[in-house]
Amino acid sequence: MSAISRSTLARAALGPLAAAALIAVLSSGVIPPYQAYSVGLAAVYTVLVLSVGLLAGWAGIWSIAHPAFFALGAYFAAYGSGHGWSVEAVVLGAVGCSAALGAFLGSAGARFSMLYVALLTLAFTMVSLEVMGQWTDVTGGDQGIPMTKLHSALGLGTLASAGTQAQYLAVGVAGIALAVGALARPGALRMRLVAAKSHPMAARSIGIAPEAQSALAFAVSAAFAALAGVLLAVVVGFVSPDPFSLTLAISLIAACVLGGAGTLIGAVVGGAYLTWAPTAAESAGVPQPILQGIVLIVALLFLPGGVVLAVGRLARRLLLRRPARQAPTAVELAEGPAQTVPAPSATAPELLRLDDVSVTFGGLKALEGASLSVRAGETVAIIGPNGAGKTTLLNVLSGLVGSGRVAGGARYHGKPLLKSRATARRRLGIGRTFQHAETFPELTVLENVLCTRRRITAQHRAAATELLDRVGLAHVADRYPNELPFGLHKRLDLARALAEEPELLILDEPFGGLDATERTLLARQIVRRQERGTAVVIIDHVLDDLFAVAHRVVAFDFGRPIGEGEPGKILDDPRVRSSYLGEGGARDELPARDGTERAAVRLEGVGHSYGGVTALHGVDLAVPQGSVIGVVGANGAGKSTLGRILHGTLPPTLGGRTAAEDLRSALVPEGRALFKTLSLRENLEVAAYAAGIKGAELRTRLAETAEWLPPRLRDRMGVAAAGLSGGEQQILAVARALMARPDLLIVDEPALGLSPAMVDEVYARLGRLAHEGLTVVLLEQSLGRAASACHEVIVLHEGNIAARGEPADPVFLARAEQAYFDGQDDASVPVGQG
Amino acid sequence: MDQFLLVLVSGLASGAVYGLMGLGLVIIYRATDVVNFALASLATVGLYAALALYDSGLPLLLAAVAAIVVTTAVGLAARETVIRPLAHGELLTALVMTMGLSLIAESVISTIWDDQPRLFPSLVEGSVAIGGSAIPAQSLLTLAVAAVAMALVAYLFGRTTIGSAMRAVAESAETAQILGLGSQRIARIAWALGLGLAVLAAVLYAPRAGLVPTVLSAPLFRAFAGIFLGGLTSMYGAVVGGLTVGVLDNLAASYVSAGYRDTFVFSFTILVLLIRPQGLFGVRTFQRV
Repeated sequence: MSAISRSTLARAALGPLAAAALIAVLSSGVIPPYQAYSVGLAAVYTVLVLSVGLLAGWAGIWSIAHPAFFALGAYFAAYGSGHGWSVEAVVLGAVGCSAALGAFLGSAGARFSMLYVALLTLAFTMVSLEVMGQWTDVTGGDQGIPMTKLHSALGLGTLASAGTQAQYLAVGVAGIALAVGALARPGALRMRLVAAKSHPMAARSIGIAPEAQSALAFAVSAAFAALAGVLLAVVVGFVSPDPFSLTLAISLIAACVLGGAGTLIGAVVGGAYLTWAPTAAESAGVPQPILQGIVLIVALLFLPGGVVLAVGRLARRLLLRRPARQAPTAVELAEGPAQTVPAPSATAPELLRLDDVSVTFGGLKALEGASLSVRAGETVAIIGPNGAGKTTLLNVLSGLVGSGRVAGGARYHGKPLLKSRATARRRLGIGRTFQHAETFPELTVLENVLCTRRRITAQHRAAATELLDRVGLAHVADRYPNELPFGLHKRLDLARALAEEPELLILDEPFGGLDATERTLLARQIVRRQERGTAVVIIDHVLDDLFAVAHRVVAFDFGRPIGEGEPGKILDDPRVRSSYLGEGGARDELPARDGTERAAVRLEGVGHSYGGVTALHGVDLAVPQGSVIGVVGANGAGKSTLGRILHGTLPPTLGGRTAAEDLRSALVPEGRALFKTLSLRENLEVAAYAAGIKGAELRTRLAETAEWLPPRLRDRMGVAAAGLSGGEQQILAVARALMARPDLLIVDEPALGLSPAMVDEVYARLGRLAHEGLTVVLLEQSLGRAASACHEVIVLHEGNIAARGEPADPVFLARAEQAYFDGQDDASVPVGQG
Repeated sequence: MDQFLLVLVSGLASGAVYGLMGLGLVIIYRATDVVNFALASLATVGLYAALALYDSGLPLLLAAVAAIVVTTAVGLAARETVIRPLAHGELLTALVMTMGLSLIAESVISTIWDDQPRLFPSLVEGSVAIGGSAIPAQSLLTLAVAAVAMALVAYLFGRTTIGSAMRAVAESAETAQILGLGSQRIARIAWALGLGLAVLAAVLYAPRAGLVPTVLSAPLFRAFAGIFLGGLTSMYGAVVGGLTVGVLDNLAASYVSAGYRDTFVFSFTILVLLIRPQGLFGVRTFQRV
C-alpha cells in the first residue's frame, strides 16, 4: 500500500525524537536561561534555513526574498497578539499569505533566468523593508511592536511569548519540520523538482512542467519561512525591522552553503551557525560580517556540497568501502543469435502522420515540407547529413522547438498534435531520448525512472525496478548517473523514455558513442519494443545500426525529405548518396608535391575522449608542408576533434602531437563562429589583436586582408558580420584566420549550409591559398568535394582512420566510399602512408 | 512646472549615477559572467580612502583619481583570489561570492573608519538658475561627467581594437579562445573599467547622500533594476534603464510618497519584465536540445 519505506519513517522520526530529547534537557534546567534562549532561536533559524536550503537544493532557486516571508510571519504574530487573534488564525494567515506570494514569485521567476529570480526576490525584500518602515500603524515602524501572548481557538491553552514554553515550541516545530523534510525526500515532489532544475528540457519530455514545480516549491518554502517568523516573534517577544535586512538574506545563503543546500542536517548546522556566529565572531575578535563573508567564501571555494556532505564523505571513506558490484554485461550477450526485426502487422493502424510540416527560426528554415507516416509497430529511420533538419523533426514530435515557428499539420492517433504542450505529450504516449543522454545527475538511476510519476506507489517502484532489470541497469539502481560509463548513461536515458510504456518512441542518435556490445544490446531493446507494437522514430549517423533495426528509411537534406526506401536500398538512391558524399567537382589543379616535404604537424597514436565517450582512437597522421589534406567522415566521426588537436588548442588524451618549429596554425571552426555583432573590420582586428599584432603592423595586415576579400565584402567593412550571407561569412572567417599569417590553416566544414555556387567560390579561394604555399587541412562531410580539392584524403569512421589515399586514384575513391559508410576498408591494397 | 523641472533634473542626475554603476555591472558581466554585487562596497572603499587623502591635504580631483586606483587595485586582487578559481559559467556561485566580498568590504570600512555619517566634499557648490528654477550645480556636473564618461566608454567599445576584443569575448568566449584571445587579460580590463565607472558614480553621488559604509547600496539596487530593465547585456540598456529608474524614483518621491520610492521603482521594473522578460534592449534567447 504505502510507498514510504521503513527506513524513511525511521529517518523521519529522528527529528521529533531529537527535539523531544532537547526539550527534556532544557526542562531539566541544566542549561542557563540565556543559552536556552539561544537554543530556541537556533530552532527558529533551523526552520528558516531549511526553507531556504531545500528550495535551493531541490528546486535550484536561490531566494533573497526569505527575510520578507520571515518578517511577514513575525509581524502577523505580533499584530495578532495585540488584537486578540488566535494562534490558529495567526499561523494559518501567515502561512497562507506567504504561500500565495511565494507561488507568485515562483511562477514569475520560472519565466526568467536564475539572475532574474535573484532580482525579483531582492526587489521583494527591498519592498518589504520599506513597508515595515512606513506602515507604522501595523508594524510600529523602527520602534517595532511587542508580542505578548496568543490564545488557542481550539482551547489548547495560551501561548506566552519569550519564555521556556516558547522555546519548547520552537524546538518541537523544528523537529517536525525536519520530519516533514525527511518524508518528502524520497517522494515524487522532490524528484520532479530536482529533475526540472537540472534539465528543464528533458523534464518537459517526461511531463514535468518546470513553471508549476517552481511555483509549488516556492509556495511551500515561503510558508515554512513564515512559520519560522511566527516562532521568532514567540521566542523573542518583540518584533522590529532589524533582523529582516538584506544582510539576513546573505547570511541565510551563507548558512545554506555552509551546511549544504538540500540536506536536512545541513539546515540544523546552518541554524546553529546563524545563532552563534555573533558570539563566535566576538570571541575571535573580528566583526561579525567579516566572519560571515569569510565563511561564505571559504565554503564556496572548498566545500561545494557543504559541511555535512564533506564530513559524510570523509566518514564513509574511513569507515566503509563501497561494495564492489560487477556489471553483468557478458551474461546478457550470451542469449540468442542476432535478432530478426519483426515486421509490423499489415493491418496496424497509422499512429502518426505529418503533413507538410515546416519550422522556421527567425528567417532560417530548419525544416520544410516534411511529411511522414508511422504505423504502430513500425520503425522509421530518418537519415541525412549534418544540418538536414533531423533533430528539428524530432523536436517537433516532442514539442521542444523553443522559439521556432511550426507550420503544417500533424496528427497522432488521428488527433491534432502540434497544439498540445510538450509536457502533455508524455501522457499521449510519446517518449523520447536525447542525443547526449540528458539524465538528471542529482537523482539516482532508479529515481531518474521514478520521477516520471506524479505520485509513487509501491506498484510504480516494482515496475521501475523491473524496467531497470530489463535494460540491464538493476545493478546500478542506487548509483548516480555521473558515476556510470557513457553506455549505461544512454541505457538510463532509454529506460526513462520507456518508463510509461510509450506508444511512440523517439530516439535521438541512440547508437552514437556506444561500443559494439552496447549497440547490439540497444538493437535488441528496440526489437523488443517492436514486438510490443511500439512505433519508433529514430535518427542516427551510424547507418549500419540504424538499417539493422529500421523498417523504412526517410532521407533528408537541407530541411526537406529527398528520398524514402527500405534500409538496404536507400543508399542506392543517387540523391541520397550524394547528399552525404557530395558531387565531385572537376579536380582542381593543386600545387605539385615531390614527397620530400617536411611535416608541418604530425600526430602519433593520438586518441581523445570526452568524459567517457571516445571520439578518436590511435590516429597517426602527418600533414606535409604545402599540402592540402582532406579529412572526411560523417557527422560524429571525430573530424572536429582531430581538427582541434591538429590546431594545438585541444591537448589529446592519448598520444602526441609534434609541430614544426614556430608553426603558426589557425582554425576556422565549424559554423564559421564569427563575432556576429562585430563589424567585418572588427572581426579581423580582433584576430590580429589576439595574435599580438598592434599599431602599424595591424593596419598593414588589415589592408592586405581587405585586398584578399572579394569586392562585395571589401566595400562593407563597417557592417556587422551578422548581415552577411552564409558564403560571405565563410570567406570572412577564412580571412580572419589569415590575419595571424598562419602556416597551417584548418578549415572545419567550410561548405556547411552554403549554396553550390558559394561552395565553389570558397573552395577556389582555399585552392589559391594552397598555391601560395599555405598548408591546408580540410574537414569535410562530403567525400566528393574533398576528393576534388585535396592531395590526400583520410576517411574517418567513428574515430578511426578507415581509409587513406590519393583521390587521383579511382580504386582508392571506391574504397573510401565504402569506408565512409561502414568503416570497412575492403580493398586488399596495402596503404602506404603516414 | 518649475517644481517638475527640478524633479526631472535631479531624477536625471540620480539616473546618471545609476546608469554609470549599471554600465560597470554590465561591462563586468558581459566579459566575465559575474554579476558583481561587491561593486558598490568596493567603490565605497575608494571613497573612504579618497576622503582620508583629501583630509590630509590632497586636492579633491587627485583624491578622486586615488579612489579609482584604490578600488581597482582592491577589486582586481579580490577577483584573482576568489573569483578566478571558480569554473567558468558558475553564475550563481560567483554572485554569492561577490555578496561575501561586499559584506567583508563594508565591515572593513566600518572597522578602519566608523559607521558615523561623514560629509563628502562636492566638486562644485551652489546652483544655476534656469528659467526661474535654481538647479543645483552638482546635478548638472553629475550629468556632464556621466555623459562624458559614457561617451568615452562608447568610443572605447565602438572604435578601439581592445573594445572590439572585449565585445568579441562577451559574444563568444569559446571562439575568442580558438583565436588565442587571452580571456583573463580581457577580464581584468573589464573589472578595472567597471570598478572605475562605479567609483566615478560614487564620487558624484556621495556629496548628496553623505558618506556611510553602506552609502552605495541603494544606488546599487537601483542600478540593478536599471540593467534588468535594459536587458542585462546591453550597455545602452544599462544607461537608459538607469536614467528611467532615476527619473521614476524622483517622481515617486515627490509626487507619490517619499517612503515608498523603492516599492514604486521595483514594481515598475518587475511589471515591465513580466510583459517583456528580455528587458527593453535584451535579446530573446532560446535553448536547443
